Parts: sequence; C-alpha cells; structure tokens
Amino acid sequence: SSHPPAPAPGGRSTHDGSSMEKVLVAMQDPDMGMKMRNQRLLITVIPHAMTGHDIITWLIQKYHICEEEALHLGEMLVKYGYIYPLKEPRCLVLRPDESPYRFQTPYFWTSTRWPASELDYAIYLAKKNIRKQGELVEYEKERYSLLHKRINHTWDFVVMQAREQLRASKQRRKADRIVLECQEQAYWLINRPPPGVQNMLDWGLERVCLFVCVCVYHVSLHPQQIETSRRALGRNRVKSSICLEGYWPLTAAFCCTNTINLCVCVRVLLCQYQNHDPIMQGCLPSNPWISDDIAYWTMNSEIVPVPTRLRVERWSFSFMELLSDAMGRREFMTYLEKEFSAENLHFWQECEEIRHGESSKIIEKVEDVYKNFLAPGAARWVNIDSKTMDKTLEGIKRPHRFVMDDAQMHIYFLMKKDSYPRYLKSDLYKNMLAKAVVPQETKKSVFPFMRRQRHSSPSPAQAGAPAAEEDGRAGTNSAAGSHF
Amino acid sequence: MGKEECKTMLDALNKVTACYRHLVIALGSTSDSQNLREELKKTRKKAQELAVANRTKLTTLLKDKTISKDDRAEYERLWVLFSSSMELLEVDMKRSLEIGQDFPLKVPTRHLIQTGMTGSTNAVAARAMSVQNMKYEADSNIDTADLRDLQTEITQVSQMMEEMEMKVQVAPWAVVAKQEAGAELKSNMSVGNSSVGVISICEEEPKDDEGGGGREGGSGSIGAVVVFFVIVAVALVLGYLVVNM
Repeated sequence: SSHPPAPAPGGRSTHDGSSMEKVLVAMQDPDMGMKMRNQRLLITVIPHAMTGHDIITWLIQKYHICEEEALHLGEMLVKYGYIYPLKEPRCLVLRPDESPYRFQTPYFWTSTRWPASELDYAIYLAKKNIRKQGELVEYEKERYSLLHKRINHTWDFVVMQAREQLRASKQRRKADRIVLECQEQAYWLINRPPPGVQNMLDWGLERVCLFVCVCVYHVSLHPQQIETSRRALGRNRVKSSICLEGYWPLTAAFCCTNTINLCVCVRVLLCQYQNHDPIMQGCLPSNPWISDDIAYWTMNSEIVPVPTRLRVERWSFSFMELLSDAMGRREFMTYLEKEFSAENLHFWQECEEIRHGESSKIIEKVEDVYKNFLAPGAARWVNIDSKTMDKTLEGIKRPHRFVMDDAQMHIYFLMKKDSYPRYLKSDLYKNMLAKAVVPQETKKSVFPFMRRQRHSSPSPAQAGAPAAEEDGRAGTNSAAGSHF
Repeated sequence: MGKEECKTMLDALNKVTACYRHLVIALGSTSDSQNLREELKKTRKKAQELAVANRTKLTTLLKDKTISKDDRAEYERLWVLFSSSMELLEVDMKRSLEIGQDFPLKVPTRHLIQTGMTGSTNAVAARAMSVQNMKYEADSNIDTADLRDLQTEITQVSQMMEEMEMKVQVAPWAVVAKQEAGAELKSNMSVGNSSVGVISICEEEPKDDEGGGGREGGSGSIGAVVVFFVIVAVALVLGYLVVNM
C-alpha cells in the first residue's frame, strides 16, 4: 500500500512536480500578489476575481518576461485548471482583456497523484442532474448512462452521496455555494472534457512545466544564476535534434528556431523511409488487403524467429527506431550484455514502465528503480552525472510519473552516443542483417480462375439476398482479417 | 432488526463523508482557518468511529451462515456502499494531509488561495457532528499538530480497508443496485428546487460590470413596485365601481 512520504514538520513542503503551483502561490502574496476585484451577480457580490489583462501584466512584471511568454504561461495556468474563466467557462483560453477569472481551490488542482475517479464523476453528474432537474447536456447524459452501467454495483452510493453533498453545500451561504458550483464545473471540464476538446492531461502535466520552470527560476535564484540556468536549460535554443527525438513534443515547436535545420531533418527522414513505405514501394510478399494472404503481417509481427530485412535496416535509422521495436531491443540488450553495460537499457525500460504504467504502481516502481539502479552500491548501478542524480533523488521523495525523466534521458543519450553506433558496426548486427529474410513476392497463379478474387467485406447497410452469396467468401475474409 | 440499524449507520457515515469532503475542498483557500482545521479533525474522528461501528456490524452479519439468500444479497449491497464510502474517506484524508502541509496557518504571511469563498464552514461541520453549534477549543497550532495524528489515522484506515478486503469475500460486481438511473430526481429532497438551481451562474454571463450590476438590480425592483401599485390602483377603481353599483 502506498503512503505519502513523511512530511517536514511545519513549514511549506515544495511540490516538486508543479512549478505552476509556485506561480499560483506567488500570486496570493498580500503585497506583491494579484490585484483582486469583485464580481457582481444580480444581488450577490463575490470577491477575488481578476481580469485576463491583470494576469498578463502581473506575470510580465514578476518574471520579467515578454508579453508572448506571459500569454503562454497564463494559457497553461488556465488549461491545467489552476485558474478558470467566469464568463464562458467551457472556453479555456486566457484573454488579455477585461474577461474575469478566478483561482481554483487546491483540492481541485490537477495532479497526477490524485486522478479524477469514475466514482467522483458519477457523483458530480448525479448532483448536476438533481440541480438541473434532469436537464443535463447531451454528452453528459451519455456519460451518465455509461457510468450507470459500468459502476452499477455502487450506484446506490452515488445517489446517496450526491444527495448528501448537496445538503452539505446548502449549509454554506449563497455566494460560497455559487463559487463551489463554478469550481466543480471547472474541474470536470478539464478532467472529463466535452467531446472534441483535447484532454490536456494527455500531454503530461509535469512535462509541460519544463517550459514554465524557466519563469519561476527568475525569482528563486540569484541574478547571476539566472543567466546560467537560462543557458543550461537552453531555452529557445534546444537542439532541434533533441526535439525531433520525440522527447519534448510540445517544446519542439517553440524551440526549433532554425527552420532550415528543421527542413533538412524532415527531408532526410522522408528519403530514409521512402523504401520502407508499403504504399510507395509496395509490400512483400503481398498486400494482405488485396491478396487475402496474411503472410506480410505474420512475418512482421512483434517477435519472429527471423525478422525481415527492411525491419533490421530500420534499426539503423535512429536509436528510437531500434528501441521501439521489441526484437531490436532484445538484440541490443544481448549486445550490451556482452559489453557489460546492460543495466543502462534495463534502467531505461524500467523508466518507461513508470512513465506509461498504472498510476497506483508508480510509487513502488520508483522505489524499485532506486534500489536497483540508483542507490549507492546498487546491484545494477547506472552512471548518471551528479547534478541529474541529485535532482532525481530529490524528486524521488515525492514520486510521480515523470520523476525519472532527466535520468532516463541522460542514459538514453549515453546509449545513443556510445553503445548504439558500436552496435551498428558490430558483428551481431551485421549477422542479423545477413540472416534477415527478404520475402519473395507471391507468384500470381497462371490460371486466372485460380487467383483469389478481390472483394470488400459486405456493407452493414446491405441486408438480405445480395449479402448471402458474398457470405461464403466474406466468411473466409473475416477469418483471415481477424488474425490481428 | 440488523438491517435497519445497518442502514441508519451507513446513512450517518455517508453524511459525514460528504461533509468531510466539503470541508477538505475549503482547505488552502480563503475559507481556511484554525476553526476549519478543528472541524476537519472532529469530523474525521467521527467518520472513523462510524466506520468501525459499521464494519463490525456488517462483518458480523455477513459471517452469519444462517441468513437467507435475499438477506445476504442485501448485506452485500450494504457492504459495497460501506466500502465506497471508505474509499472516498481515505482519499480525502490523504489529500487533507497534503494540502494541510502545503498551507500552514501559523506563518508570518499566509498564502491562502483567493478562491472567492470567504464564509465559514461551521454549519457543515455541525451537520456532520449532528449538533446545533460547533464548539472550538483547540490550540492555535492545530494546523501543524493535527498533521501527525492525521498520518497515524490514515495508516489505520488503510490497514482497516486491507483487512476488510481480505476477510470479507464480497464480489462487488455481483451486487445489483436498487436505484435506477435518474433515481436521484425522484426524491423529495429540499435541495432540488432551491435557489442553487436558479442561479446557474457559471452558464450564463454574469454581469460583472459594477455600475451595470447595480442599475440592473435597481430597475428590476422599481419595476416590481410600479406593477404592484398599478394593480392596487386597478383594484381600488373596480372596488369603487362595485360599491357604487
């Protein structure tokens, strides 16, 4: 079972994961914080509203950044639910004008440690159902029915809890009740966005903070250190090669200032992959969709005794290509074991597990990784530079999904610069390439009537007789196609 | 009868869980105060008492082999209600620990988040504790002192839940809820048609222009007064005519 780490007695503990929270807290400062206004609604007055313009101005003044950056930072704060708009709550943008916004309460801050649960969402929808007398929005009605089926066993609890929560909020005065409703709505608009709206949480909350971190460093560090860290972070000057590696998809767009460099990279990619594209070059032995022969898929499935030549060639295109292929990874591991540096790849794999695995298992996985790879005297100790090591060890005290990112990236580039080129030159790889099979194109039968006819599967709209005669052939089609 | 007693206790636990969640939502915001911390502590302790009582009662009932199939199905349903309540309670306790640590009260400058909530939560706590008024008697350093107790209690609750899962073999997915979809609309609860529904502020455009807001409210009430006098005048005229007939 997972318990939160021991707290520091008194004082504020810092959330390693979110620098956005630091920005939020700085905005509350009585002297240097945001200027607040009142929101007037008919007869109620609710304090603590601020305009978009005020937010931008404050960010510019506090962190000495330009307007564009302040706008971006503010957008992040809105998109991740730390600030929500009071007009047009479904439109999560920061308008630099007189549009009003308000801070979200800490309980509803987006956090990977406390993902929104189905049960909570069901209770929220039930509450909304009661308040609106059944008039939920269309997509909410759909989700309500879906949840009713999915967590039916606990539905009585959902209804009971929804009623009690509403009764509890009736004990507050009207202004606070209104605020609570707005807060909840804002929270669920982010954690269960309406259909068609991108789910911001897919981007990875703490990763996006990398961009935000720069601004926060301005305040917490001495002016000399600001320059050093700015250079170290390489803001706006991150090598396009790193970005194209696919590690920082969001910042890639912002950091590739050299467009010529970017074009060259893209052109190289296109040339490399030309021969590997089944649409451009055709695929051997035959296109399963045409010939009904699934040999192409079976030969290229994840683990085969002998891989195809094209596949092994792709391993030489980039390190990421090698690692994303299960067989490639296995081969590379064999090679590393010969070189006695297999712990690097093991470590990288464990970090991937943490990043992409279940939230509930994150804490124990991080502990395992620490025990096996990072602790002094560990069995499979990996060589990380001291700065990254310190940062990671700090982060482990408050483990989250992306706590191992820096270390993982360090090891990734270590392998890429060091082991990967040597692997490509090694006998192991060359033998693999030689052994790899180039499938023969299936010969078309001499007699036309022996060739299998091409036909699409029956349209579901068709009913009755026309479908019947295709049924026989469609049966074999679907049997072949369902191999996937 | 065992069933009725169980249901009453579960209702109580459900109520306290809902109130506790409401209080935790106020943590770290401008509604936070020493009083809130004390309310959280008391509510939490009450919740745990109820939890233990519920667990004891339900495990006794479920262990009884002589009960009928219907009874057993009912107790399993109650068990699922109970464990869902505990789920919420455990998460909220952990969150209140985290937020409580991040927002200490006894510091030279408090950085509570200005959420727009400024009222007190004592009525919510009173509802949880089933009292008329809350009495506040804690020390001024409750915001830090209580955290240690909270940690211990979280461990206890987690252990209790683990034991529950081990000792009681109830398959939650086999339980069928009594309430259908939309059942919450059929209740006679007083909340349904309260002003909370009328003021769905978040959807409409609130009038946030101060002058405009004032004028709007004023003209509305003046209009109502005018209409009232018109009606009275008409009534007087008619009455005069009737009298003179």
